[in-house]
Amino acid sequence: MIQLKDISCRVGDFKLRNISMTIAGGSYFVLLGPAGSGKSILLECICGIRPIESGRILIDGKDITKLPPGTRNIGYVPQDYALFKHLSVADNIGFALKIQGQTRTQRTRQVSRVAEMLSIENILDRPIHRLSAGQQQRIALARALVAEPTVLLLDEPVSALDEANRQEICALLRIIAKDFKFTVLHVSHNLEESFTVAESAAVMRDGMIEQSGILKDLLRKPGTEFVARYMRCENIYSCEATGAIFPGGTEVKFGNKLLVLPGSLNTNVKFMIRPENIRVFMKYAGWREDENTIPVKVLGFRDFGSHIRIELDGPAHMVAHMQYSDFQDLGIPSETNMLAWLPREAIHVLEDEQP
Amino acid sequence: MKTRFPTSDWQSTLFKAATLLFVAIFVVFIIALILTDIFHIDRQAFKTVLTAPFIRQSLWISIWTSCTATALSLLFAIPAGYALSRYRFPGRLLVDTIVDLPIVFPPFVVGLTLLIFFRQSALGIFIEDTLGLEFVFQPRGIVLCQFVVAAGFAIRFAKIAFDAVDIRAENIALTLGCTRWGSFRYVALPQAANGIIAGGILTWARSFGLFGPLFVFVGFMRGSTEALSSTIYLEHAAGNLEVALAAALLAVFIALISILTIRIISRKAVASI
Repeated sequence: MIQLKDISCRVGDFKLRNISMTIAGGSYFVLLGPAGSGKSILLECICGIRPIESGRILIDGKDITKLPPGTRNIGYVPQDYALFKHLSVADNIGFALKIQGQTRTQRTRQVSRVAEMLSIENILDRPIHRLSAGQQQRIALARALVAEPTVLLLDEPVSALDEANRQEICALLRIIAKDFKFTVLHVSHNLEESFTVAESAAVMRDGMIEQSGILKDLLRKPGTEFVARYMRCENIYSCEATGAIFPGGTEVKFGNKLLVLPGSLNTNVKFMIRPENIRVFMKYAGWREDENTIPVKVLGFRDFGSHIRIELDGPAHMVAHMQYSDFQDLGIPSETNMLAWLPREAIHVLEDEQP
Repeated sequence: MKTRFPTSDWQSTLFKAATLLFVAIFVVFIIALILTDIFHIDRQAFKTVLTAPFIRQSLWISIWTSCTATALSLLFAIPAGYALSRYRFPGRLLVDTIVDLPIVFPPFVVGLTLLIFFRQSALGIFIEDTLGLEFVFQPRGIVLCQFVVAAGFAIRFAKIAFDAVDIRAENIALTLGCTRWGSFRYVALPQAANGIIAGGILTWARSFGLFGPLFVFVGFMRGSTEALSSTIYLEHAAGNLEVALAAALLAVFIALISILTIRIISRKAVASI
């Protein structure tokens, strides 16, 4: 378990401010946030290579705040691996064991075991500069794992890899974390990668934790507009409550249309709906404006492989995602007048940010 | 298939030939100078240089003093180069510039300055008279002159070499159990070794051929403070031009063999640091 209590750290003009967070033992946690939000600095503070101004760091209940990096029992894989260029692959992996004073025979045995686990046993004699990014990533991981740490800190471990390698390494990380019961803190920019490896996450902003919790809650029930936008939700709108109350919902003005939002609201609110939750369908004979069904015009669409992104013009600019097969069935041309349904249960009110 | 920036073979060849031409002009010029000396000297001058005891003595003085000065320079250069590369402190830019100052000093001025320091300053007099550590007109004065003139090269090269070492690799070593000394010893030093050795070679070469400050600071006492460079000067001044040239060629030959040997050995040594 990793416990961070009021961690503050200054780096030039940037400051980490009062970071408090608990990561359960044996869990896989992802730290998200835009570039410059302080994710890497936080990792460096935890592993001890960057001193903190105040606060405490506890690993499995033990206060490690003042311990030197080498005695914290933390494995750290930095962003571009920082492998030891003057050593072979085997010597890179066995570095920690050499420092511990193990003999070459002991080191060889352990290095081979970890290398086999990461499928790099056939490149152990090679120099570092002759390796691909994927191989270097595995070596950096092996170097961190060989000393059998209890906590693993991974700073964008797959960002330099191609898609195939990224998925393979993510799957491998998940297996390793589960098998060895590591507590893993993984910094990432990528949502797909995060969902592949972790259940819990935190989003950082300007040196602070903006929100932390279950990953799917951050996606579907973000606390703030910043988190919603970071989790790639573009449909965020401000509106005014009309005062009309429905069972389990409140009516609001959405442009020149009316919508029913979940919950009891009596003021101006900001709400979001994820693009994949907006249902787009053809107008049919005898249609009528039902709850949260609004007429829209298709502005354009783009095939992203996994889904079709459709831009809609209605009471506001909206984005919907649709499966390719559904899109084909509809055969939507641009400039078509359609209907968009915003299911009440898929709408999330951003309660923290009143417009 | 056409590439966006086509590079045909003849262009590559032309570029390569143009760069190699500059190497060739320089090397040919140096070889021409040496050959001119060789053809100017008769066999007797060579025989004198190879057999005369005073040449052997001055050669030995040059070798041991330049090796000592190089060792001392590296002893300073490794920590100083690392500190200048890694740490920020007030006045760092000024300190960094002062390190380079002896490199641009006229060598004669170095000798003169050292003489004034040890003969006129309280600290210099204290070192020589009270501590009994004499440098003026002493063999160890040669080492001091060589150190002052050449250590700047060693420090500069060491700093550049440490600049090229990724500081994150050192930090990773800390997380893998190293102390700060360990990360320096096992990560920074081996990765900077090639640059440090290059600085060492330059320091040695500069020390081995040094003459200017010796003239003022240690004088030319045969068998004591007469280095090979001093012998060359003295023979030339006495009108023995051929012996002076033969001694100079001996110095060039020894320098060539030494630098080649260090380069070959250092390739293997770096791997084992």
